[in-house]
Amino acid sequence: MEQGQKIVGKEPIIELRHINKHFGSVQVLKDVSLTVHKGEVVVIIGPSGSGKSTLCRTINRLETIDSGEIVIDGAVLPQEGKQLAALRSQIGMVFQSFNLFAHKRILDNVTVAPRDVLHTPKKQAEAEAMELLRRVGVGDQAHKVPAQLSGGQQQRVAIARALAMHPKAILFDEPTSALDPEMIGEVLDVMTELAREGMTMVIVTHEMAFAKAIADRVVFLEDGQIVEESTDPKAFFDEPATERARLFLRALEH
Amino acid sequence: MNGAHTSIRDILYEPPGPKARRAIFWATAASLAALAALAALIVRQFYVTGQLDGKYWSIFTRYTTWRFLAKGFAGTLEVALSSSVVAFAMGMLLMMGRISRSRALNWLCTALIELSRGIPTLLFIYFFFLFAPQLGLKLSAFWKITLPVAISAAGVVAEVLRSGVNAVPRGQTEAAVTLGMRGRSVFFKIVFPQAFRYVIPSLIAELVIVLKDTTFAYVVNYADLMQNAKVLISNYDALLSVYLVAAVIYILVNYALNKMSVAVAGLTRTPAMPGK
Repeated sequence: MEQGQKIVGKEPIIELRHINKHFGSVQVLKDVSLTVHKGEVVVIIGPSGSGKSTLCRTINRLETIDSGEIVIDGAVLPQEGKQLAALRSQIGMVFQSFNLFAHKRILDNVTVAPRDVLHTPKKQAEAEAMELLRRVGVGDQAHKVPAQLSGGQQQRVAIARALAMHPKAILFDEPTSALDPEMIGEVLDVMTELAREGMTMVIVTHEMAFAKAIADRVVFLEDGQIVEESTDPKAFFDEPATERARLFLRALEH
Repeated sequence: MNGAHTSIRDILYEPPGPKARRAIFWATAASLAALAALAALIVRQFYVTGQLDGKYWSIFTRYTTWRFLAKGFAGTLEVALSSSVVAFAMGMLLMMGRISRSRALNWLCTALIELSRGIPTLLFIYFFFLFAPQLGLKLSAFWKITLPVAISAAGVVAEVLRSGVNAVPRGQTEAAVTLGMRGRSVFFKIVFPQAFRYVIPSLIAELVIVLKDTTFAYVVNYADLMQNAKVLISNYDALLSVYLVAAVIYILVNYALNKMSVAVAGLTRTPAMPGK
């Protein structure tokens, strides 16, 4: 673990500016601004219902916003069409429930988007996919279908699927929350490895030890607001600056 | 039967006790006796009216009778298959219109689906048989039966397909769009293949209905199994024997289709959903 020596760039990849969002009459995001720089690992924590997942999902417009601006690598996120699809393809996403394509073999799960979106030739797409599957440790599962894999294996395939698009950043929306405890480690290991290689990551998680170890920056969200933000995760977890963060962390200990 | 399988009956009812078992025994015995009496009565009536006479049955020892029925059966299959293909194509279009974001298209397809489902097949046949020619639409007997049967099934096919599309978890679409895939690709490469698998059994069940609807072919004078059976009957006056044989043929085909549907349902029931 050489977290301290990792170089985080100054170049912003994801910028959220004054994001507001309502679900009906409930405001779930309140004037949220957040910038994620190249190579940075931003971990979003907070109580359930605080808007963490919603925030994560607004970044590639799986959730629409009421006001504010989302900028991906210098380009404002459009509301629809080709440009939206193009920007989405640059931001990978890993879901809580894996969402592997149930009818496709593991290998095809990874190749379908590169072939469809980037028009990568089949042979090349499959070679790259095999390489990625091996990297996340499921190379020998390539010809099975998702239902034949364990949750941990499925989630690692989902990470490989996201990587196949050569994304500029990957969003992780509670990637281990649907996993049996004994499978959480294998997924976190793959994510740690990615972080070490310099991937830009936004992670929504409940795994505090993992957050502490991997984060370049911790964002504590409560009631749709960023309550505390820290570039020193150790300090944050040991001694948060705000009372609300302190209460949240203390509640987790019990 | 108390095999190892759990049947619907085992789920719905608790196992019978001694009293209930006795009641079941006597109820079964009484029903069987009643059925046997009814069957005997029917056979007796046929005997009295002479339908069991050898001359009505001997036609089935002749090769030409079977060849004639086989020809009709080929006609039935032709109409059933063509209708199914046309119904599937129309159902697919109606379904896509029904789920499209265009309000007008949505409304139009909903209306067409309701018409297709609500109007009896026979009315569609009368339309093509009696009314369409007045509009200058001259169709062969084959299309006069194939089109109405197809139109009549299209609405159900559309709704079956739509239920399949709705059953595909939202996460599948979300995963596809976050990878940069666009509308048409998402639908045809991710959503529809899964939706189709879900509804194969229902589509096969609809095939049975299409097959039964083809018996209306006699209305337009198309030579299907039913029509040829009628010809045999009027030639030989062999009402019972010919209808019985025709009925057995229809039962066998539909039984095979139902078996197929169950088999396919079993194949596709392997856990298709990721996660838990």
